[in-house]
Amino acid sequence: MFIKLKTMFFMLAAITILAGCTSTKVEDNKNTDELVYATVKDINDMNPHLYPGSMSAQGMVYESLVENTEEGIKPLLAESWEISEDGTEYTFHLRKDVTFHDGEHFNAKAVKQNFEAVQNNKEKHAWIKLSDKIKSIEEVDEYTVKLTLFEVYYPTLVELSMTRPYVFLSPNDFKNGETKDGVNGFHGTGPFKLTEHKVDQYAVFEANEDYWAGVPKIKKITAKVLPAGETTLLAMQKGEVNFAFTDDRGADSINIEGINQLVQAGDYQLTRSKQMNTKMIVANSGKSESPASEKNVREAIWYAIDRETISRDIFEGAETVANSLFSINVNYADVSLKERNYDIARAKEILENAGWTISSQDSVREKGGKKLEMKLYYDSNSPSQKAQAEFIQGSLKEVGINLELNGEESTSIANRRATGDYDLLFNQTWGLAYDPQSTVAAFTSEASYLHATKGIPDAEQFYKKIEETLTTIDEEKRKLLYEDILKTVHDEAIFIPITNGNVTVVAPKNLKGISFKQTQYELPFEKMYFE
Amino acid sequence: MRLIRNLVRDKLGITSLLFLVLVMLMGVFAPIIAPHDPLAINMPLRYASPSWEHLLGNDHLGRDVLSRILYGIRASVLWIFLALIISVCIGTVMGFIAGYYRGIVDSIIMRICDVMLSFPVYVITIAIVGILGVGLENILFAFVLMKWAWFARIIRTSVLQYIEMEYVKYARTIGLSHRSIILRHILPLTFSDIAVVASSSMSSMILQISGLSFLGLGIKAPNAEWGMMLSEAREVMFTRPELMIAPGVAIISVVIGFNFLSDSLQVALNPELRQPSKIIE
Amino acid sequence: MGAYIARRILITLPLLLAVSFLTFLLISFSPVEPAEVILRAQEVPLITDELIERTNEELGLDKPFIIQYFHWLISSLQLDFGNSYVKNEPVWNLVGPAFINTFKLTVASTIVIIIFSVLIGVICAVNERKMVDRWMRTILFVFTATPSYLLGAVCIYLFSVKLDLLPTSGMEGVESYILPVLVTSLGYIGIYFRNIRSAMINNLNEDYVLYGRASGLSEYTITWHILRNSLQVAVSIFCMAIPLILGGTVVIENVFAWPGLGSLSIGAILNRDFPIIQAYVLIVAVAFVIFNMISDILNAMLNPRIRNDS
Repeated sequence: MFIKLKTMFFMLAAITILAGCTSTKVEDNKNTDELVYATVKDINDMNPHLYPGSMSAQGMVYESLVENTEEGIKPLLAESWEISEDGTEYTFHLRKDVTFHDGEHFNAKAVKQNFEAVQNNKEKHAWIKLSDKIKSIEEVDEYTVKLTLFEVYYPTLVELSMTRPYVFLSPNDFKNGETKDGVNGFHGTGPFKLTEHKVDQYAVFEANEDYWAGVPKIKKITAKVLPAGETTLLAMQKGEVNFAFTDDRGADSINIEGINQLVQAGDYQLTRSKQMNTKMIVANSGKSESPASEKNVREAIWYAIDRETISRDIFEGAETVANSLFSINVNYADVSLKERNYDIARAKEILENAGWTISSQDSVREKGGKKLEMKLYYDSNSPSQKAQAEFIQGSLKEVGINLELNGEESTSIANRRATGDYDLLFNQTWGLAYDPQSTVAAFTSEASYLHATKGIPDAEQFYKKIEETLTTIDEEKRKLLYEDILKTVHDEAIFIPITNGNVTVVAPKNLKGISFKQTQYELPFEKMYFE
Repeated sequence: MRLIRNLVRDKLGITSLLFLVLVMLMGVFAPIIAPHDPLAINMPLRYASPSWEHLLGNDHLGRDVLSRILYGIRASVLWIFLALIISVCIGTVMGFIAGYYRGIVDSIIMRICDVMLSFPVYVITIAIVGILGVGLENILFAFVLMKWAWFARIIRTSVLQYIEMEYVKYARTIGLSHRSIILRHILPLTFSDIAVVASSSMSSMILQISGLSFLGLGIKAPNAEWGMMLSEAREVMFTRPELMIAPGVAIISVVIGFNFLSDSLQVALNPELRQPSKIIE
Repeated sequence: MGAYIARRILITLPLLLAVSFLTFLLISFSPVEPAEVILRAQEVPLITDELIERTNEELGLDKPFIIQYFHWLISSLQLDFGNSYVKNEPVWNLVGPAFINTFKLTVASTIVIIIFSVLIGVICAVNERKMVDRWMRTILFVFTATPSYLLGAVCIYLFSVKLDLLPTSGMEGVESYILPVLVTSLGYIGIYFRNIRSAMINNLNEDYVLYGRASGLSEYTITWHILRNSLQVAVSIFCMAIPLILGGTVVIENVFAWPGLGSLSIGAILNRDFPIIQAYVLIVAVAFVIFNMISDILNAMLNPRIRNDS
């Protein structure tokens, strides 16, 4: 008996000691000026002239010459600019009070060096057509630069406003005057500085005390790597993380019901941007051995998807039904297109007429001994994509299409998109700042949708039209060209729209000033403050 | 056989055995006993609570949870059992060859076993899934590739032990063929060793497969598997923790069943031994 | 003893070679062409057949298989595993720190396993077949049968959210170790405490215990003596557990967002980042072999019978 008590005592003591360590650091995140946001992926390489980095993090650290706002292009690092008569020369007058995070002065020389570093690695920037159009960049004086183009290119200012690559890194960080082989530091001019980065754990951004537009009120932002789903939710409930938003790739890592419950509990608020993009399934028309290269099959898939149910049940109404690649509020996208609503019978009919026959109920259609089977890739970090994929798989089975689902990480999916190694994959348009011009330009870019659009009849002609659209100075003509392009991809059913997505922010109740940019990739953290 | 006789006397052991046989039969006859199609999506019933129509409720696509649990037996238990039998067969053959013929054959086989056993199970599985892609069949393949070495070693040891027995020696001297010595005399003796090891490695395999499915490396949608059902339930654990109960209980009870069975088998095999001491990864 | 150690090390060397060869063999089955992937990672826009051929030459991929293997082995020995396809960073920069994190988790868990296996084993042994013994055994039996991710999820829900005692995930400070270590340990404790328990029970019936009791030593002193004799079992557990846990933290790391090898390798699979998978397999397998060797040697030092057996 004596021994029993003794040992029990030891055990209890051990447990108390263990438990004792725990209560040392329970932090209370309320009423501070810190934000800790959850991210499923590390911020990665922050070099702004390359693409692996997290865009929302790069958006905090780096800035561009001009800014894309709801009211159009506005000054940022350039106070004002002039465009020459013929539209090929842009003269920018820079702000004089800007310094990089390392203390280096921001001036025309820095702009020139950055532009040249980007241009010296042109192949990687093929998706942004401007990289092809820049002829030269010159310093006119200490605070004036002149950008000369080979020909007129109407989205020039829009593309200069993007999160990358035309943003500015302190020239002290360059390696041998270049940025393409890595950089020595990540000093931008933005409202936040990167002060600490532990790969796959967290990254800390602190307010830039010398920020030209006024010191941000939020003093510290931490990006914490957490697995998708409930871990983030639990961490939010506990206050380890107090901020979450739709990430770069449009993957909502938290389920909507959980967010609602969190908000109801009282500590958090939910803010949604207006419609930002279109979520869709991209069909690889260029992969001739895949059924996805056949227009009828793509159309049948389009008809077989019940968008209403996806919007209502999977997104709980947070995302609305999309019937075309761009919603009509996107520039140039207000064109009348053939509607393809949910219609299983129509889908079956199309397949039947196209020679895909079915032998018995519940089996897979066949044509010439080939089965109607395809692979659909979804982002393994996005529970909503997985649910949609499973739902669509069920619907397609009904019409006799067998879909194999593969969850992979976004990098791998982007890689498949670039190599054409897919039948179908989930994707989204790039957001208001990029639509339609960049997304359309991306139809011709190998890294983006070249494989997807290759199967369009007369593809060469189609690509020429895109080229023309971006360079014409005739506004009317451009409108007509866009209409033609959008009609073609719609009729070919290459981008099968599902819903219109937005950016969702879950933040502490007392955080004010939550707003959105014209892009889903960045959030204006500098405008937020606690009350 | 003594093993079976002893096992029947052990109430816990025989109960476990019957339970596991029942579970496996339910898996085999899932199409007959399952109340619904496990793949039938019914969005209006998304996350519905248990009802008479759907005894265990419905999942995130409105599919019937009970039917998915029943069909899940196939991936979570039956296929693993099959993989186990295959690795036992390979292991037995290799172990016999090594133990019976000795010499150079023996050392080659045992060195191969050494190499295979130098890889932790998860590591080799990750390597194979990494190369061949995600999927239950690839994980099972990795298991067979790894596990046979365990069995080969154990069988070899048993064979070495039994080969020294008087009547096997006698059978050899009177010139019985190798084949009949193995089949008639040694195989039945080693069978009990195999049963013990197999039942305990079954439970670790079930846990490992469910873990890998949980990580998204196992079975592909829409097929049902308990680990994947748990991973789907985890996504809404915060709002609907009750969804974890059914697949959780299913896995735990089957694993407990195999653990009890393995303990009982061990005791039945060697009644003096009250405590198992070997663990198998 | 020296002879045994020497022999054990000598066996290990060819084993390591074989393990590395198998790793290389496995990865060479990967469906993608390495040259193409490397070019792709460098974001070369147009990949032609000639370019692939040239890259193959540069990388020595046109050489016979066995020569490629030795090339790979030599660079691996220098910790050069190439660059990650995704992060475009040397693989070792990613795998090295992750290995250390996994190792920390492993060591912490092993210590907890020993403490609690011994503690529970002793309690159960001295109370053999009483209530405490029965309950302990039943509870731990259930824990061993519970998938670690389920246990992890429940623990997070209970200790982090409901009781608000511990962080949910990550690796910051001592308290973030508690849950992952607890969950890792529980399964093993359920197995090892039984070994301790039976070792203790056997010891309890030994002559010296009976003699001690007869000569009026306090129960405390007797238990201490028994415990000391059972510690040998504990040390061999320590040796056995390290390699097993090291190779098995994959699931737990994912549940707790532990920045270790497990999380890294799952991410690599979902990203098809083959250099990382390859380095992961090699490093864990090598660590596994080495720790098994150390474990055997320690066991042999403690238990002379083993030495003579083999």
